[in-house]
Amino acid sequence: MNWKPDTVNQATAFEKVVDFIDERVGLKTVQAKMLNEPVPGGSRWAYAFGSCLLFIFILQAVTGILLMFYYVPSTDHAYASTQYILHEVDYGWFLLSYHFWGSSAMVVMVFAHMSQVFLWGAYKRPRELIWLVGLALFGIVMAFGFTGYLLPWDQRAFWATTVGVEIMDKTPVIGDFLSRFLKGGPTPGQMTISRFFVIHVMILPATLMGLASLHLFLFRKAGPAGPFRGSPEEIKAKTDYFFPRQIWKDIIAMASVFLIVASLAFIEPVELLEKATPDPGDYHPEPEWYFLFLFQLLRLKIFGGEFGQFLGTIAIPGAFMELLAALPFIDRHPNRDIFKRPVALVSWIVVMLGILIFTVSAILNREFLD
Amino acid sequence: MKSLSNTKLGLLVLWPTFWTGFPLKLVISLLLLAGGLHPWEGTGLKFLLLLSIPIDMWALGLCARTVLLERLHVEPQPGFGVRLWWQWALFSILYLPLLYYIVGAVVATAQSLSASIIEFLKQNVVTIHIAEQITLDLVLWGSVATLVLLLLLGGWFFGLGALVQRQVRVAVHKDGSFQDMVSRWDSLRVPPDQGLLLTAFTGGGVVLSLIFWGLLPVTTPHPHEEYEYTYVKKVERPVHPKEILKKTKKVLAKAKSVIEELEKKKKEEKKSKKTGGDVKISPKANQGKKSPPSLKSKGV
Repeated sequence: MNWKPDTVNQATAFEKVVDFIDERVGLKTVQAKMLNEPVPGGSRWAYAFGSCLLFIFILQAVTGILLMFYYVPSTDHAYASTQYILHEVDYGWFLLSYHFWGSSAMVVMVFAHMSQVFLWGAYKRPRELIWLVGLALFGIVMAFGFTGYLLPWDQRAFWATTVGVEIMDKTPVIGDFLSRFLKGGPTPGQMTISRFFVIHVMILPATLMGLASLHLFLFRKAGPAGPFRGSPEEIKAKTDYFFPRQIWKDIIAMASVFLIVASLAFIEPVELLEKATPDPGDYHPEPEWYFLFLFQLLRLKIFGGEFGQFLGTIAIPGAFMELLAALPFIDRHPNRDIFKRPVALVSWIVVMLGILIFTVSAILNREFLD
Repeated sequence: MKSLSNTKLGLLVLWPTFWTGFPLKLVISLLLLAGGLHPWEGTGLKFLLLLSIPIDMWALGLCARTVLLERLHVEPQPGFGVRLWWQWALFSILYLPLLYYIVGAVVATAQSLSASIIEFLKQNVVTIHIAEQITLDLVLWGSVATLVLLLLLGGWFFGLGALVQRQVRVAVHKDGSFQDMVSRWDSLRVPPDQGLLLTAFTGGGVVLSLIFWGLLPVTTPHPHEEYEYTYVKKVERPVHPKEILKKTKKVLAKAKSVIEELEKKKKEEKKSKKTGGDVKISPKANQGKKSPPSLKSKGV
């Protein structure tokens, strides 16, 4: 009798490995749960911002770890080790420039993601907690930018941190403690760089990972909000699963983000100024570009003097953040259509225009300083 | 048949067209940058524009077809993308330089007007500080320039919309439920074979990554003026065999004469010993020479 192999029931080596893992960790259940999430109204490019943020964070972590192999967080060696990365480590200039522009991309993406959630009315019931955790993540991203800026230890880093810590000092009750804790002395020095480094590479990444997991868990629990317009019939007709359409959109968006950040690393690579000294010389202290609007706002006459500075640095930004946190509890109307929420639409336009105008003003202001 | 205004139709087509072609143009731009060419000038720009033509043809055809099916329930004639692209390209070649010229003129006029207004205010009405002046100036000329730019962009969208409307008139009307329309335009965008798509995408990604890595400069193309490299490359001296041979001959000849002299000295010393003469040893001869360490003193 001739024996023939049973080709129908014969599993490939790959399938066997998958079955082995599935039996132990429930891989297929996880996969089904991840990919078969219904997206009301179908996939959209506007939903890709969150995935892009996660992607940027992963690349920031990877490039950051690679940079840590060479970077020395001390006042004696921080500048020299950063210059060494830029000039002598293979592809070091690209890694550092990518990491630098990646942080800016993260800030832009956070603004885009928050704007999308705000305009779509996706912070409303039952998604209040997702919004609150998102706001905390926004703070973490800003803190990443602030702490990372000091690490190269050049004039730009030193003076941006000095200005930033001085602003923090104006916070009532905790301001003095915060600025003394961060600086660790009368002027930025070894203690400052050590503390900023630990916060940047340990505390913030751990906090971000925890909060991002919570954010995702809450998102999956409540489900996507879907479009704010369209009849139930239209939304139902277009409703689709997360895979394949939304996944493809996310992949294309992530690839585009990588391409843009990499292009910026080529067009404007990181170049250090002179090593940090307590004398600014010809250098005019300035924060990172995403804080420029606030910096320019503080130059206005209305924000002059002790009280004006407090108003511009702490009271107004603090009140704005509190308003954002309270938003889901103030705006309880179920209608999510942005064109039927004129106050929300106008507020968003005013804030965005304000940020744009004052950022450009800060850039134009440089001419008057030289 | 449903209808849309020309401006809205133009915007509806142009917005997705831009984002569909954008990632592909980004890939080309990044590879050009890695290869040391700027995609905004010279050869790099020519290369980018040339490759953008087929990308735009494809993107415009795909996006316009989708919009027509979804919004107007019509299926355009074959060759629609290429036809629409050349008409739109011709229109843009005429319109965009005009837009550039008008906006430039408006910006210049608005800036000079704004400067005059601020100067008048400063001299006659109120003291204006530098920070306030910068923002006021920016808002004054920026708002006028933005308004004009938006109006002219509206004209550009209108032009494209009018070109699309011409194609709509000869398109085939498609009946069906909303669900049918959705699946029809959706199948235009998402190929049915997901495995093949994933393989092609991954393969393309790997090839492009390898090309990028190959082109990427290892060290910074912008070194700091004052940076001193810790690794200084040794200067390799050029090799001249004839000179080396000459030098070697000289060294050997010198060595020969030294040896001969030493042998001569030795013979003379032997002679003097036999005849009973004194041999004096200079005390300087042993100066600076350390005696080898005793093995015993090291406990061996």
